[in-house]
Amino acid sequence: MKTKTLSILLASLFVIAGAISVAGARAAGEVPAPPAIGATIEDFTLPDVDNKDHSLKSLLGKNGAVLIFIAVQCPVSNAYNERMEQLAQDYKAKGINVIGINSNVAEDAAAVKAHAAEHKFTFAILKDSGNKIADKLGAAVTPEAYFLDANGKLLYHGRIDNARNAAQIETSDLRNALDAALADKPVEKTEAKAFGCTIKRA
Amino acid sequence: MRFTKTIIPLTLCVLLVSFAAPAQKQKGRAAHPQKPAAVVTPINTDELKGLLSQQRQKPLLVNFWATYCDPCRDEFPDLVKIDQDYRSQSLEFVTVSLDDMTDIKTEVPKFLDSMKATMPAYLLNASDPEPAINTVDRAWRGDLPATYLYNEKGEVVYKHIGRVNVAELREAIDKVVKKGTGQ
Repeated sequence: MKTKTLSILLASLFVIAGAISVAGARAAGEVPAPPAIGATIEDFTLPDVDNKDHSLKSLLGKNGAVLIFIAVQCPVSNAYNERMEQLAQDYKAKGINVIGINSNVAEDAAAVKAHAAEHKFTFAILKDSGNKIADKLGAAVTPEAYFLDANGKLLYHGRIDNARNAAQIETSDLRNALDAALADKPVEKTEAKAFGCTIKRA
Repeated sequence: MRFTKTIIPLTLCVLLVSFAAPAQKQKGRAAHPQKPAAVVTPINTDELKGLLSQQRQKPLLVNFWATYCDPCRDEFPDLVKIDQDYRSQSLEFVTVSLDDMTDIKTEVPKFLDSMKATMPAYLLNASDPEPAINTVDRAWRGDLPATYLYNEKGEVVYKHIGRVNVAELREAIDKVVKKGTGQ
C-alpha cells in the first residue's frame, strides 16, 4: 500500500516537473520544431473571422492547400498582402487553396476581419487563438507558408519568395513548389527560411 | 497727405517683415528636419561572413534585430546597457538590422537614436536573406531577435534566439571578457 502511495506521489512529481519544464521552455520564447517535409499534417479545426469552424480537410483543394501564417500589423506580412491575394487567385483554379492563419495573441478576429476586408482578401483566414496550430506546425514568423498536397502531406515549408520588396524577387520558392507539384514533379527546394515578424504567442 | 504716403508703406514693410521672419524660421526648420544621428552601414552577406569569422583582439557580440520585431525593441534597452557596461572591458558589440534597405536612413537610425544606442550598426543589404542567415548559423531559422557571442578566434560561445535572458548573456560575456583581458 505504502509502495503504491509512494509511486503515485513520485509519478505526480514527475508530471509536475514536466509541466514546469515545458512552461519554462515556452517562456523562453522557443518555437516548437516544424514537422518534417513529407509528414502528413493531422486534421485540425479552426474558426474563421466570422467564428465559423473549418477543418483543414474541408479546406484542402483537389491539389492541396497553402497555409500562410499572416499578421495584421507586421510590415513584412503586409508587404506580401498583394502577393498572397494574387497567389490565391492564380492557384484556386488549379485546385490549390490559400488559407491564411492568424496566431498573434494581440490580433483578435475583428481586427483580422477588418484587415482582410481592407486588403480585399478572397481567401479564408482562420483565427488560431492560443497559437495551437502555430505550435503544431512550428511556425515562428509571419509570413510563413506550408504547402500540403491533397492528402495533407507537407511538400514545402518556408518563405513565399526571397524578398520583402517585390521589386527584388529572384526566387519564388513557394510558387516553384506549387508548380512542380502540379506538374507531377518532385519539389526541388522543399524548405527556405521564412523571414518576418515573430508570431506573438499567448 | 505726405505723412500718409510715408506711413502706409512703412507699416506695410514692418508687417511684411514681421510675417516673413517666422515664416523663414519655419522654412529653416523644414530645410533641416531632425536628421537621425545614428549611422547605419549596409553590410552584404560576404562582408557579414568576414565580420563574424575573422580573428580579433576582442570578443564580439552580435545582435540581429529589426524595427518591426517587438521582442527586439523590448530587449534593446538591456543591450544598450550591456554595451555601456562592457565596452571598456574589451567587448566589441555590433547590431545587424534585418530591416528593408529603404529604412536605412529613417526607421532604423531613428530607433537607435531613441535608444541612445552607439554601438556600430549595420543593416543587411541582401535581396535574399537566406544565405546570410545560413552564414551566421545553419540551425537559425531567421526569427528575431538572435544574439551571438564570438570569442577572439571567431567561434560562437553563446547564442540565443528570442528575447535575451540578460543574466545569462552577462554571464557568458563575463567568461570571454575575462579570457580576453589575458587572465
